[in-house]
Amino acid sequence: MDSQSMLALGAAIAIAIGAYGGTSAQGKAVAAALEGIARNPAAKSDIQTPMIIGLALIESLVILSFLIAFFLQAKIGA
Amino acid sequence: MKFILALMLLLTSASALAAGGFMWLEGLTHSVGQPDHVVTFSIICVLFLILGIIYRAKTSNVDKALVPDKGITFRNIYEFFGDFIYNLSKSTIGEKEGPEYFKFFMFYFLLIFMNNLIGLVPGFMPPTENLNTGLGLGILVFLYYNFHGIRVQGLKAHIAHLMGPIAAMAPLIFVIELISHLMRPLTLGLRIRGNMMGDHTVLAVFSDLVPYIVPIPFYVLGIFVCFMQAFVFTILSMVYMNLAVELQDHGDHAH
Repeated sequence: MDSQSMLALGAAIAIAIGAYGGTSAQGKAVAAALEGIARNPAAKSDIQTPMIIGLALIESLVILSFLIAFFLQAKIGA
Repeated sequence: MKFILALMLLLTSASALAAGGFMWLEGLTHSVGQPDHVVTFSIICVLFLILGIIYRAKTSNVDKALVPDKGITFRNIYEFFGDFIYNLSKSTIGEKEGPEYFKFFMFYFLLIFMNNLIGLVPGFMPPTENLNTGLGLGILVFLYYNFHGIRVQGLKAHIAHLMGPIAAMAPLIFVIELISHLMRPLTLGLRIRGNMMGDHTVLAVFSDLVPYIVPIPFYVLGIFVCFMQAFVFTILSMVYMNLAVELQDHGDHAH
């Protein structure tokens, strides 16, 4: 396998694992928040804001893996 | 509802026109010699200024402005967003500090929201799709909350906050905290860039496949994504602001 295809595979695997981990964690967070809202609908606004903050913080690591995939992808043509 | 549907139909038929690579601002970008996102961003800033002046003129008469308008008018839409961000900043930054920094976040929210929305008009590229715009906005937030953190707590307390509560662990915690702080503008910029690019690409692909009717759900999704990304950017900046400004009440023993 030459270095070009290794780079391409590395970029694809980086974003794939990042997206998988991030989405499964986000799914857990949303499930817990929805459960809380279903049990106590009055607390909807109090739960929603921390949930969105948590989702954004989880997403930031996915974005960092996207960044690495992006850098690897830029190296392919060179 | 009829109006919205007509607007969607108009947009989709315009996207058929834009499929050939037509851009509204192509002539302007050539004559100014600046890249596309800079020109679009500047135009939106001017539009923003005009809207602000119109709003100011409508509410300048205090006796008349006390009574809200009926129905969906320009002023009501403006005040809906203002109310929304005001309550958000109060609940996130604090009852006392929130109104102090409200203007900055209101400006940010509306600016990013408009910059996202312009991408839905065929023939325009959203400026937030370019990484430079996102990073610029993120770095301004970084400078702003650090400035206010130092102003409120003093330089010593602001840096001491990076050390963590235990003195023996300070060298390790300091490095981790520093990296996480420096990552904040980067993740803010990349998040908005990645989401807008993904949304715009989906829209472009489906407009290319079938120019009529089919892209309408993606326009609805696009409006939602535009709102959500502006909201997430604003609320994260507010949380960073809260962490920088409010911690002096807790002291070192609280965490």
